[in-house]
Amino acid sequence: MSEENWIEVGSTDSIEEEDLIRFDHQDKTFCVYKLTDGFYATDGICTHEAVHLEDGLVMDDEIECPMHQGIFNIKSGEALSPPACEDLKTYPVKVDNDKIFIKID
Amino acid sequence: MKNNIIILGGGQAGIYAAREIRQNDSKSNIKILGEENLLPYERPPLSKDFLLDKKKAEDLYFHSSDVLKNENIEFENISINKVDFENKKLFAKNDNVYSYDSLLISTGSENKKLTLDNNLKNDIYYLRNLEEAKKIKEIVSNKNKITIIGGGFIGLEIASSLSQLQKKVIVIEIGNQLMGRIIPKQIADLVQNTHIEHGNEIILNKQIEKITKKNDDYEILLNDNSLIETDFIIAGIGSTPTVKLFENTNLKLDNGIVTNQFCETSIKDVYAAGDVSNFYHPFYERNMRLESYQHAQNHGICAGKNIAGVKTEYTSIPWMWSDQFNLNLQLTGICDEYDEIIERGNDINNGVIYFFLKNNKIRGACGVGIIGKVGRDIRITSKLTEKDTIVDKQILSDQNLKLNKLIQK
Repeated sequence: MSEENWIEVGSTDSIEEEDLIRFDHQDKTFCVYKLTDGFYATDGICTHEAVHLEDGLVMDDEIECPMHQGIFNIKSGEALSPPACEDLKTYPVKVDNDKIFIKID
Repeated sequence: MKNNIIILGGGQAGIYAAREIRQNDSKSNIKILGEENLLPYERPPLSKDFLLDKKKAEDLYFHSSDVLKNENIEFENISINKVDFENKKLFAKNDNVYSYDSLLISTGSENKKLTLDNNLKNDIYYLRNLEEAKKIKEIVSNKNKITIIGGGFIGLEIASSLSQLQKKVIVIEIGNQLMGRIIPKQIADLVQNTHIEHGNEIILNKQIEKITKKNDDYEILLNDNSLIETDFIIAGIGSTPTVKLFENTNLKLDNGIVTNQFCETSIKDVYAAGDVSNFYHPFYERNMRLESYQHAQNHGICAGKNIAGVKTEYTSIPWMWSDQFNLNLQLTGICDEYDEIIERGNDINNGVIYFFLKNNKIRGACGVGIIGKVGRDIRITSKLTEKDTIVDKQILSDQNLKLNKLIQK
């Protein structure tokens, strides 16, 4: 595993619990979440239509798209409720010295 | 026990009911009878991404035929023309007879048609199904000045799409605001401004007196004697529940099929779900009929549970959306029973929401904003409504304060 793949997102206090921040890197965009048991990351764009999930509702380990209420499990990326039917890609996250890193392929 | 379960109507409510029945009942035969020779598909994109060529027909199916095969759900393209509730039989036009133990009616709704004195029936286009959307898409490519009769969701979504295809669009609405049946005027006016900014012409408070065909074009005469020249006419003037088949039966009808909170009709073992059902909503303590994506899905699922013997009340708070240009409009609950209105935000770029309160609790809310800007707050509002929460109005009205603080866990 190469160290270069871990990208710094920001400090751990930049996200409130049960909330998310948007993180853009090169030409890709991600959502980084703080849940009760830690930090998680997914693709930033809903798999149903091209809308960013940063304005979505985070609740009970789920992110709900603000446009059409497609729901995804944040930890697994699984599409839980239509109109979303394609899973959301997830990314490994680590915390080092109060900084959040995500691993992008 | 193995039962024959028939689902009459191959739309969203029907397919979600079928899959929910199968989740709870591995043995019964489940058969969907659909009038369109297509597996159940999503209708919302027809007026938007399909017209704009961002989605193809094959992108619209809810589930592939493999999913239905794996779950042992049969789909048959057939048109039923008679129902015998007493003997539990359905009769098809081709003389096929279908016997059921339980029947779900999910026949949906159909477009109201304009009543015109001259013979222009085939000249006015409507959009409800894929075939109609394909036709409109094909013909409109050679047209330039398009008139849309009816300023409701469907008319305005088509107006938005055609404007994006560089067409000149005129919308004629009989009422004094757009989307007047369910959308508050404050929100409708914001949407109207966006249409005008994009070059669409919106004509309110006008009735159509006459439409005359002139070669390949049309002249529309309005009740103020003004004349509109156009080369293509689409009407979206509302819909009615598809109940003709049941008109001379014992099934209780009143603006659709009357059902209780368990999707049960007045006849034993007969259920109804989706657009066709005028259902009792226990939270609002009244009957209502809804035409929306979320309702068709959730009501179908609820009917499926009840048919499979899992007694379940339907308590979903209504929710619907419309996408026009770069705007996403959302409505939750009902906005016509209130003693107070609270406004959140005043800039469409950040989202504007109106909350409708009764006794300090939210009954409904409607918001519009650049895509993504109102969804989270509207979703939280649905939860607050459902939980019958007494809300802090200061938080509701201040866009800098997050609404999720109001949710009690």
